[in-house]
Amino acid sequence: MKKRNTKKKSSQNNFSKLSVFQNQKYKFKKKCPLTGKGAPVVDYKNIKLLRRYVSENGKILPSRITSVSLKKQRDLSLSIKRARNLALL
Amino acid sequence: MNFYEHTLIARQDVSPSQMKQIQEKYTKIIENNDGDIVKFESWGLMNLSYLIKKNKKGNYLHFKIKGNGSTIKELEKNEKLDKNLLRYLTVKVKKLDLETDYFKKHEDSQKN
Repeated sequence: MKKRNTKKKSSQNNFSKLSVFQNQKYKFKKKCPLTGKGAPVVDYKNIKLLRRYVSENGKILPSRITSVSLKKQRDLSLSIKRARNLALL
Repeated sequence: MNFYEHTLIARQDVSPSQMKQIQEKYTKIIENNDGDIVKFESWGLMNLSYLIKKNKKGNYLHFKIKGNGSTIKELEKNEKLDKNLLRYLTVKVKKLDLETDYFKKHEDSQKN
């Protein structure tokens, strides 16, 4: 019985983190997937990577959705535009 | 001396022998204007993602060049006049990466 109780509590805590009126402390923060060691190189030839950051209509996705850092987002948008010019995207 | 990456797209109905002529023509232009070709890649015939001058496909050529601004100026001047070409793109880079060749794998995935 005791074990069950603890499980329920933990799940409730997760929900509270998701609420809109949350404290800054408990926000989910994702790391940027393009920075750090072993991250893929942003390049206009690397189309497999660029496809992930483009919507179905070919628009560039905002960093608030993809959680890419500001610097990398600038690189991304530049290289997506280059790839578009070469009709790769 | 600067490093540049240069990509050409030629029309779809250009024959392979003509493609070689195009490649030789531009290598000569680069070398005559004190440039140096570090690496040459032929990406082959690939699908364009949208029509360019009623072409569905394009022949891609890729040069990695070590040269001056005047080299690139001369190159682009000649490419503007060439009717066999659809597009070109020059990118100045700090370092050339000679290891990764993105379009060898890309071709295989397209066939599947």
